[in-house]
Amino acid sequence: MNNYILSKKTVVNDLATFYSFLIGLIIAICIGSVILLIQDQNPISVFSLMLKLSVGSINSLSSSLNKAIPLILAGLGISIMNSVKLWNIGAEGQIFLGAIAVNLIYINIEIYNSSLLILILLISGFVGGSICILLPAITKVVFGVNEIITTLLTNYIIIGLTIYLVNGPWKDPKSLNFPAATYVGEEVYLPTIFGRLSSGFLICILFTIGAYYLKEKSVFGYEMRIAGGSAMTAIYAGINARQKAFFAMLIGGGFAGLAGAIELLSQTHRVSIGISQGFGYTAIIVAAITGMRPIGIFLVGCLFGALTIGGAVIQTIGVSSYIAEIIQATTLIGALVSQFFFTYQIKEVKDG
Amino acid sequence: MVDIQLMGLLNATLQAATLLFIAALGELITEKTGILNLGVEGMISIGAVTAFMTAINTENLFLSIIVGVLSASIFSSIHAFVTVILKQDQTVSGLILTILGLALSSLLGKKYVGKKLMVKIESIRDVAEPSNIIEVLLNQNFIFYLAILLMITTSFVLKKTMFGRRIEAVGEDSRASDSMGLKINKTQFIGTCIGGAFAGLSGVYLTLSYVPFWTDNMTAGRGWICLALVIFGGWKPYRTAIGAVLFGFLEALVPRLQTYGFDLSPYLVKITPYLITILVLVVLTIYKEGKTGAPGNIGRPFFRENR
Repeated sequence: MNNYILSKKTVVNDLATFYSFLIGLIIAICIGSVILLIQDQNPISVFSLMLKLSVGSINSLSSSLNKAIPLILAGLGISIMNSVKLWNIGAEGQIFLGAIAVNLIYINIEIYNSSLLILILLISGFVGGSICILLPAITKVVFGVNEIITTLLTNYIIIGLTIYLVNGPWKDPKSLNFPAATYVGEEVYLPTIFGRLSSGFLICILFTIGAYYLKEKSVFGYEMRIAGGSAMTAIYAGINARQKAFFAMLIGGGFAGLAGAIELLSQTHRVSIGISQGFGYTAIIVAAITGMRPIGIFLVGCLFGALTIGGAVIQTIGVSSYIAEIIQATTLIGALVSQFFFTYQIKEVKDG
Repeated sequence: MVDIQLMGLLNATLQAATLLFIAALGELITEKTGILNLGVEGMISIGAVTAFMTAINTENLFLSIIVGVLSASIFSSIHAFVTVILKQDQTVSGLILTILGLALSSLLGKKYVGKKLMVKIESIRDVAEPSNIIEVLLNQNFIFYLAILLMITTSFVLKKTMFGRRIEAVGEDSRASDSMGLKINKTQFIGTCIGGAFAGLSGVYLTLSYVPFWTDNMTAGRGWICLALVIFGGWKPYRTAIGAVLFGFLEALVPRLQTYGFDLSPYLVKITPYLITILVLVVLTIYKEGKTGAPGNIGRPFFRENR
């Protein structure tokens, strides 16, 4: 009798993650097409419209890249935390607290040099994101409380805080229908590079390189990987695993907080519930799909940014924008499924 | 007057607790087999929207309940397929189930936002202002009693039956269980789908009884509280139920605080259950010094490398 068992392949193709992503994307587009067909829409015309309106002109391309900024930054934060084998599900809240920190500093500080002010505000966003993850970080490293649940619950706390602020202390009396804080002054708007592309994108490129260096090339990155691996190895290597985990969490939260700061200074120009539209959750998909690789996160982030813009514009022809989210999520499922075939093989075992 | 208010609070507590408990119990069963499913939020949402759609279109309650439970269970089989059969990361797969479930239910439910439900799961006897505990209990619907039944059955099955011992063995040490001839994949697959079905029933309770309408993201993070409840309950059905009542109480108390004369911002009050959940997790982790009662194999994929 022959039995079949699973076994891990000894040699895994270097580009396995990339191929898995491509296969996942194809599967997702197929599933998306089926959903569109059910809704009496022609998938080809919907997808070509999405393509045209997301990358077809300078303006739409730059809007897509603008949307990519929070996805990439939050995704990088998630990947840094993953170096110590920790999950950050709280990027959504960190984005909001980053924006809140920017506004808090903005209304309490008087600096007339706008470049300096912008720099200070960006730093406050980063710090805001770190503060947001402080409670999950402390409870994780001191008591060992599961960070997946605490970072997630923090999202609801921070979004609740945002709703409180824009309905209460920070409420702009001129904004009647949509509760929001007062706009920040034009002197702190991030300048655009071309079309509508905000200079936040340059920050994004810098941070991608920084995250790559931090994760792959720096001593700290190496120590994080050891700390995230076996506890015994970390002890033998004299690495304080808790300390590495703590700093990885603060940096990870900071990246997402910076995303919130850029979003405020370049897009919304005020604190409102619209600061993030689920960027923190999409960023998890972006990070996971690339196997937590910074360069991959940058590229997939750009693609998903375009997909989000595409999803938003097809609403005008009566197609639900959720189709974009479903495509993003099914891409990851498809990628996970195909990843299996790259990393495992089915072996035939003869009994007896 | 005070008595009526107190009973009203108790009534709301039990309703909120039922919703949380059923999904948490399902997750408990899933986790007992060694599979962590972070997709509870998505599964509740799928169960809720499909039950609501069926109820609007057919006005057949029985059918709506079945559809809600089954669709959430089928939806959870995605997680079972990806993690049990294909051995992929359970955290990623569970998260994706939440994201996909919320997006899919928003897509499905788009045409149903604001629609009025003609049928609703009725309580055993409708009491507008219950004044004693009997009336509060009668004011619950059959899902509340089903939840109690499920709690007792689950506890019994896990502790006393062969099937339950197998589940526990697979979750504790799948390698040893495998050498004993237990079917790991089958047990974990079924465990995950049962978890999905329970979450679906929670969803049914949400849209056909608790708040009889549909809006986007109406699960409002309850799925995540369910995950915390399993930890709170130390993977034991009765303790999980106590946790559910506690959290149900918080959910019921918070909107009432103002009517009791506390001058608080309603926006800030809404975040307290989430804060308290974190605090409870911290206290619990300190109290148990790491011995949380989690199944030994949770989160780790099993595959026979070489025999």
